[in-house]
Amino acid sequence: MNAATGTRGRPTAEAIRSVTEGLRLTCGDRVATGQAIRDQHGHGEGLADGALPDVVVFPQSNDEVAAVVRLCAAARMPVIAFGVGTSLEGHVAALYGGVCIDLSQMNRVLEVHAEDLDCRVQAGVTREQLNAELKGTGLFFPIDPGANATLGGMASTRASGTNAVRYGTMRENVLGLTVVTADGRIVHTGGRARKSSAGYDLTRLFVGAEGTLGVITEVAVRLYGIPEAISAAVCQFPDLKSAVDSVIVAMQLGVPVARIELLDAVQMDASIRYSRLDGFAAKPTLFFEFHGTEASVREQAETIESITGDHGGSAFRWTSSPEERSKLWKARHNAYYAALALAPGSQAFATDACVPISRLADCVMETQADIDATGLIAPILGHVGDGNFHLVIVFDPARPGDREKAEGLAARASLRAIAMGGTCTGEHGIGVHKLDALVVEHGEAVSLMQAVKRALDPLDIMNPGKTVPHAGPVAGRP
Amino acid sequence: MLDPAFTSALAAIVPGEALLTSAEDTRPYECDGLTLYRELPAAVVLPDDEAQVVRILELCHAARVPVVARGAGTSLSGGALPIADGVVLSLAKFRRIVSIDPLSRTAVVEPGVRNLAVSEAAAACGLFYAPDPSSQIACSIGGNVAENAGGVHCLKYGLTVHNVRKVRGVLVTGEIVEFGSDALDAPGYDLLALVTGSEGLLAVITQVTVKLLPKPREARVVLAAFDDLEKAGAAVGAVIGAGIIPGGLEMMDQPATRAVEPFVHAGYPLDAAAVLLVEADGTPEEVESEIAEIRQVLTAGGATSLRVSADEAERLLLWSGRKAAFPAVGRISPDYYCIDGTIPRAALPRVLAQIEAWSRDYGLPCANVFHAGDGNLHPLILFDAEKPGDKERTIEFGDRILELCIEVGGTITGEHGVGIEKIRGMCAQFPPGALERFHGVKRAFDERALLNPGKGVPTLARCAEFGRMHVHAGALPHPDLPRF
Repeated sequence: MNAATGTRGRPTAEAIRSVTEGLRLTCGDRVATGQAIRDQHGHGEGLADGALPDVVVFPQSNDEVAAVVRLCAAARMPVIAFGVGTSLEGHVAALYGGVCIDLSQMNRVLEVHAEDLDCRVQAGVTREQLNAELKGTGLFFPIDPGANATLGGMASTRASGTNAVRYGTMRENVLGLTVVTADGRIVHTGGRARKSSAGYDLTRLFVGAEGTLGVITEVAVRLYGIPEAISAAVCQFPDLKSAVDSVIVAMQLGVPVARIELLDAVQMDASIRYSRLDGFAAKPTLFFEFHGTEASVREQAETIESITGDHGGSAFRWTSSPEERSKLWKARHNAYYAALALAPGSQAFATDACVPISRLADCVMETQADIDATGLIAPILGHVGDGNFHLVIVFDPARPGDREKAEGLAARASLRAIAMGGTCTGEHGIGVHKLDALVVEHGEAVSLMQAVKRALDPLDIMNPGKTVPHAGPVAGRP
Repeated sequence: MLDPAFTSALAAIVPGEALLTSAEDTRPYECDGLTLYRELPAAVVLPDDEAQVVRILELCHAARVPVVARGAGTSLSGGALPIADGVVLSLAKFRRIVSIDPLSRTAVVEPGVRNLAVSEAAAACGLFYAPDPSSQIACSIGGNVAENAGGVHCLKYGLTVHNVRKVRGVLVTGEIVEFGSDALDAPGYDLLALVTGSEGLLAVITQVTVKLLPKPREARVVLAAFDDLEKAGAAVGAVIGAGIIPGGLEMMDQPATRAVEPFVHAGYPLDAAAVLLVEADGTPEEVESEIAEIRQVLTAGGATSLRVSADEAERLLLWSGRKAAFPAVGRISPDYYCIDGTIPRAALPRVLAQIEAWSRDYGLPCANVFHAGDGNLHPLILFDAEKPGDKERTIEFGDRILELCIEVGGTITGEHGVGIEKIRGMCAQFPPGALERFHGVKRAFDERALLNPGKGVPTLARCAEFGRMHVHAGALPHPDLPRF
């Protein structure tokens, strides 16, 4: 976290007062300075050690966002975009104070083009809201990071989720953006054409930039036909390695599974209790979901049954019942809370890592050994089909040294993944917690990222202190 | 002219035969696939390895000499057009397939490796590399990355940007940088996406890690005939709108089928106003059910006849006309202009009808052969440059098509890139706010603007009219090469 430490201070009381006045002229009473609202906007999910913005503003249009950013640029005041605050790596913490732009009132679905399989929404639309509004079109938006995040937030963090193995991440699914840039201009990137070779790919530059290059106000995304048939399967394994090996073989054979989720024995134990999953043992388990025609989902399930059987899998259960399926996925989505419930009074944070699938077994097994050595509770779970897995690290804040131990485990998981040709984050992003790991992973590319940041945000007002370390000499650069 | 001291410094980096400076030696590099523009470079250098690339770039950077990187030279937008006082850096010697990892389904290749060679090498593992620009027997992976190449299969499997994991490159300052990651995602800014499609303006690519996909067990193609162009356009939208993403979805209108049939004898229905080629791939069960769905949608959309390939030989035959369409058109007309606009699919019927109407108004025949599923148009305006006024009217016609593409929410180039050809059209598509972001990105990578200057992104001062591709008397290099 030391790479985030810049030299800038917080805005002066005078600057805050004058910007707040300007904001009131632009947005009327949709400007809040009360402690409770600022508290709520100072952190995402995960660790609660956030930092409060000085003002929170709730714009309703591109023009209002642009006006807010221009005000902030004139006063050199930090600007932090906020969706619903479900990010996990401290993305929304106002490290240097400033103005938090809450986009929740920009929540309209602007256009749905069913025939072109795309739509355009305002950044504050959540994924569940979008799918509810798509009802009746036969289409859906598949990206599912678990939380009911906003599309703007998902684009900003390049979210992925349980079914990225089939549908890709936000990188593949965002077609275009409307962005308010650091100088307060409204810029449209990409478009409704399926492909374009014109100019640099600004769309993908802003996707995953975590609000450090501009504020995303509108997102155009791809939609997909709701599959004719969806079915799920579950299989349990004697040990973690057999489960991981099954995944590797399935991917190698190119079985087009829509989701594969691994839950290790500790997580299964937690989820059985928390989500009342009956008929399961506390053993490493894989959840599968298949999308396609009736014939193809059956074929996929049969292939998976035979693969898992070869790896000692047992209790293979196949279901096309929507109720049973949603119970399983609900248990998966609640994994974090289930893990937390294992040790009442404790805190937990999630970290993720992603490696090439050929190194997945090594990485998971070494991580397992590391967890055992620390003595912490830290279930392993994740979308292993794309080489991405998570640790939910549970620690007792009251016990001296516990948090440091937990952070050490997370840092080693990042470095281990990087050493295996992988990455310190498959989907949660850098935010503020992983700046050091980014430097290790990207080396020379980090200075390019800093140069891009300087070019597009010369005043360093857009979500400062996140995603790329402050320019200048970085201590400990390998 | 280059400073002699600079030339001798270059000569010290590479072996003697790898530095070309006489006009007779540099002539083959004077243009790429866009032959309308030609320029002799001051020097051509062909390094053997990355260390030499680093030293060449360091030298050019210090001496402020512009550098144009070049792959196979098949670009259709003049991306590899030399700079008169500059150096062409050819990656022709970077031809190694470094490794293929069947478990991670990736291949590490050097930029000079031909597109098709990757799939050929991966075939032993049952894998293939999906992007397949029609020039795939000749074009190189480095050029594919620089142009974000597409192809018939990109409808289902994505463009180059979706099929590349990692790119290793050298900045103009000589620093070696890796973009992307061997894993699914790379954190921080998506520099990999920035470099992909950057047309050689940001870095010189020295190694590429591509994704490989399992080869579908079966593929079959449906040939559908329509008595009306608009109906065919609407059927394209109907296929996708039904939730089917075919392996390929291409359209040829009557002028195109009539040009290619004598060339390939594929048995296209010549009385049809347009034909669609729709391919299904996957397991035999998937292919069968998808073909049934496709047949149903096309019949409902007014197809007058349907033909489904019975075996691999017939499938290849039906595709052969599509792949050979451009050389075939080159045989029936002294000249043609190719446009590369891309539009939202739903606008296809309107745009095709308008092109047909303009074709009549201008008295210029126009053949349409294109990636219909992507909405990527390739209208070929046939004309005769010897006929007074023909060329001017063709230019106007082409401009109007591209203006219409922008008007319906599309783009002036779907896959050929901006290069030198469309540099002016960029101003019509992008307002100053976006162009300024482009310049910001360029400054971050190449402050002195030495990599491929004058291409890709126009200066704000340079915004005028559209450009286009011009082929005279079929005088395209490698005219036999399948294209588009």
